Amino acid sequence: MAEMNRRDFLRGVAAGTAVVSLPALSCAPAGGALRGAGGPAPAGGAYFDPFGVDEGLLRRVLDRALARGGDFAEIFLQHCVRHSVALEDGAVNSATTGVDLGAGVRVLKGDATGFAFCEDLTEAALLATAETAASVADGPQAARPRRFAVSRPPSRYAIAVPWSEVGVERKVPLVARLDGLARARDPRIVKLSASLRDESSHILVANSEGLRVEDAQPMLVLGATCVARHQGRTETNSQALAKRQGLDWITAGRIEALAHRLVDRCVALFDAVPPPIGELPVVLAAGSSGILLHEAIGHGMEADFNRKGTSIFADKIGKRIAPPGVTIVDDATLPHERGSLNVDDEGQEGQRTVLVEDGVLRTFLHDRISARHYKLAASTGSGRRQSFRFPPVPRMRVTYMERGTHAREEVIASVKKGLFAEDFSNGQVAIGAGDFTFFLKYGRLIEDGKLTAVVKDANLIGAGPKVLEKVDMVADDLVIDENGWTCGKDGQGVPVGLGLPTVRAGAISIGGRKS
Amino acid sequence: MSHELLEQAWGAVRGAQRRGAQGARAAAHRVRESTLEWRDGALDRLQESTRMGLEVALFVDGRYSTHATSDLRPEALEGFLDECVAMTRVLAEDAHRALPDPARYQGRFQGDLGLMDEAGVAGSTPAERRRLVQALEAAVRAGPGADQLASVTTACSDTAGERALVCSNGMEGSWRGSSFYLWAECAVKDAGGRKPEGWWYSARRQRGALQAPEEIGREALRRALAQVGAKPEPSGEHPCVVEAAVAGRLFADLLSPLSGWAIQQQRSFLADKLDQAVAAACLTLADDPLLPAGLASQAYDGEGMSAVRRPIFEQGVLRTHFLDTYSARKLGREPTTGGASNLVFQGGERDLAGLLQAMGTGLLVTGFSGGNSNAATGDFSVGVKGMWVEGGRPVRPVAEMNLSGNHLALWKRLAELGNDPNPSSSLRIPSLRFDPVQFSGT
Repeated sequence: MAEMNRRDFLRGVAAGTAVVSLPALSCAPAGGALRGAGGPAPAGGAYFDPFGVDEGLLRRVLDRALARGGDFAEIFLQHCVRHSVALEDGAVNSATTGVDLGAGVRVLKGDATGFAFCEDLTEAALLATAETAASVADGPQAARPRRFAVSRPPSRYAIAVPWSEVGVERKVPLVARLDGLARARDPRIVKLSASLRDESSHILVANSEGLRVEDAQPMLVLGATCVARHQGRTETNSQALAKRQGLDWITAGRIEALAHRLVDRCVALFDAVPPPIGELPVVLAAGSSGILLHEAIGHGMEADFNRKGTSIFADKIGKRIAPPGVTIVDDATLPHERGSLNVDDEGQEGQRTVLVEDGVLRTFLHDRISARHYKLAASTGSGRRQSFRFPPVPRMRVTYMERGTHAREEVIASVKKGLFAEDFSNGQVAIGAGDFTFFLKYGRLIEDGKLTAVVKDANLIGAGPKVLEKVDMVADDLVIDENGWTCGKDGQGVPVGLGLPTVRAGAISIGGRKS
Repeated sequence: MSHELLEQAWGAVRGAQRRGAQGARAAAHRVRESTLEWRDGALDRLQESTRMGLEVALFVDGRYSTHATSDLRPEALEGFLDECVAMTRVLAEDAHRALPDPARYQGRFQGDLGLMDEAGVAGSTPAERRRLVQALEAAVRAGPGADQLASVTTACSDTAGERALVCSNGMEGSWRGSSFYLWAECAVKDAGGRKPEGWWYSARRQRGALQAPEEIGREALRRALAQVGAKPEPSGEHPCVVEAAVAGRLFADLLSPLSGWAIQQQRSFLADKLDQAVAAACLTLADDPLLPAGLASQAYDGEGMSAVRRPIFEQGVLRTHFLDTYSARKLGREPTTGGASNLVFQGGERDLAGLLQAMGTGLLVTGFSGGNSNAATGDFSVGVKGMWVEGGRPVRPVAEMNLSGNHLALWKRLAELGNDPNPSSSLRIPSLRFDPVQFSGT
């Protein structure tokens, strides 16, 4: 679709739904980027060179933002540089860069938000942006920005060599190596596309309550898609490694493991039988099955939906929603994970939030607006945005279930006839109705407690609360998935993580096919 | 203003050439957007912005790369181009990369596509936006069954933008466009804390062509109430009707395998289907980039090639693959265009009620959830909700079911198209009636 239709596409998705998906690994995203912004630093105390904005200007912008009676103002500055190199048909023969530089100004008046952004960091542009955001209120100035106290966030994803110092020539061999290892793994591989994408995002958040904090957020995604042909059949598979890491994390061993998993999962599909039709007990394998938590409960816990009264979990705090033994966490603190955050996009320190403790719902995921709405002392550090072009809303970070006590084999052996679901590619949830779906790329049938035939390409659908109620066995093998998940909501995509130990989940409806 | 964007784009092309690029294409844009969101009687979010940006494709010593930036300060742009050209030189050569044949820039449509509504833009004042979001909410709350409402959110947005595209081998184009958008969504109370939602929207290039707020609000409420008490039906093969507003979700699964990239990468179940019957004879549609006031109308495509109307399916026979210059050269074929613009379907005789009458008993699909389609094989599986229909009338709500199969079989089972194309999408699909297809539920 043409560019003007992007909005059409984003909004065309049903209201109140949220989707999560893996990137189209082979299509390097348009956008990528470059060096920065390095304009001359203003004389006298510039502290964040890439922006060329000093503390005095930040205060003037916040003051202007409050000029019409808003009770809180915030400026979010971002400089983000993305690069990708991509391989197709055996050669690393395309690259992209993308540079995003700009500032978003937000003003709150009660629950209402005024938001504007600019891509021009001159004083005139920033003040004009502040004036636009200020118009959410319509009265005399009621508050003044406080003096800044600089916060020093923890460091959960420092990397030795920043991506800005890594040239293309060092990335090309890694992608070529992935291609070579994958092709050598099985002669039936006929096509392979791969890319290495990196991102360096610098953010600065300053608000009228005196908070001022900066963070550097690296990201890497090494991914590939392969196509195999055998006896007239074509099968494809995609795999990726996504982390807040630097180039040196991509070791020879990691590339080899990725190549082997990519190919082995692909050629295994030649033996696939049609997936079953209708309700069947499902065992979720450790890893990407964590999408169950993301869709079945995670979105319903995002407090904006609850503040609006549209979540199926709106009145369930303190109530049992899963059997004892089920503890679900949304965590920003895991080192180098794709969804981890030193600070969120409102400047709050990233934290570990227990959503469900031993089966009982404990808290929603809050941003500033919802925390204030629910009269909490602070948010859960869950305010996130795609970029400076968007206001923050409550979002997940890395969502997973704590490990249980069973062995994986014990869980599988407990099912007479069912589905062992291993790899997922995407999912979606209707927040209010609670219906969620997740798409199975690779699974196995369970017959008499043993894994048998491979199945693929089936949508699984269920009602979130009901599925959680039926989780009755949790294994001790928690895996945080390393594929690069992106969660879309309100037209904004943010990187997230998810994970799960092997879990027996009761019956779920499977969208299978006849042979 | 377009002059300024053209200068910016030419500046990037010339800058790339000075650094050694043999060819370059550059696009510049500036888009102003205002959005007002209103929730339960109060302002929820007000957003205004102007976004700018520059995109460049480089052809350097037989190598290729693409780049985008929103940092348009002159000194930053110089550094940007330095780095872009330098990194391109490190890549492998690719003989298939090239700018389009300049002959493809010729014959461009010169008339007015009706993409810019100046009066509509001028009339979109803060006060008018507020009137519209309030009218939308009032319409939701005035509908039958409004006492079951849990929450109502409405939104209004308008954009006005300009874009310029230039290529070093002799292409220059610019255009301006507006878009207007009204939205209503609501959640209603159901048993067990369930709160089914309903939404409706209208999107147009011309403000005066928008659907009335009263109709949008009423429809959002109707759709939410229709899902109260929804449950899955037993699995089985049933005839179905897919409503126009959501049918694009099903058809969109065909777009990825129609792309030259998917075909060349052997990830397309439609690669070898050109000039073959892929769908039932009732399916005829064209890609029409010159549709007056079309949401995806444009006189040239993303590579600058002059836009023309092309048949995609004629009586079920596939007529066109979407081939950009690169994939066409790799496949040894002539380029068409890199992707779909407005997809215009030849509609049928009957409206939605007529299709339900013709179906008799089966499923009316009013929404999709999640799901995916394997572009290499055509196997698909997608969540659905809607209404169970008996005697041509909806009798009970349905949710938590999947529709699954293979696209090559599905579109052969297309029995009839409605006369109700969706005007709020560039995928202007009408309602669809299918002979029995596989649904799974309980």
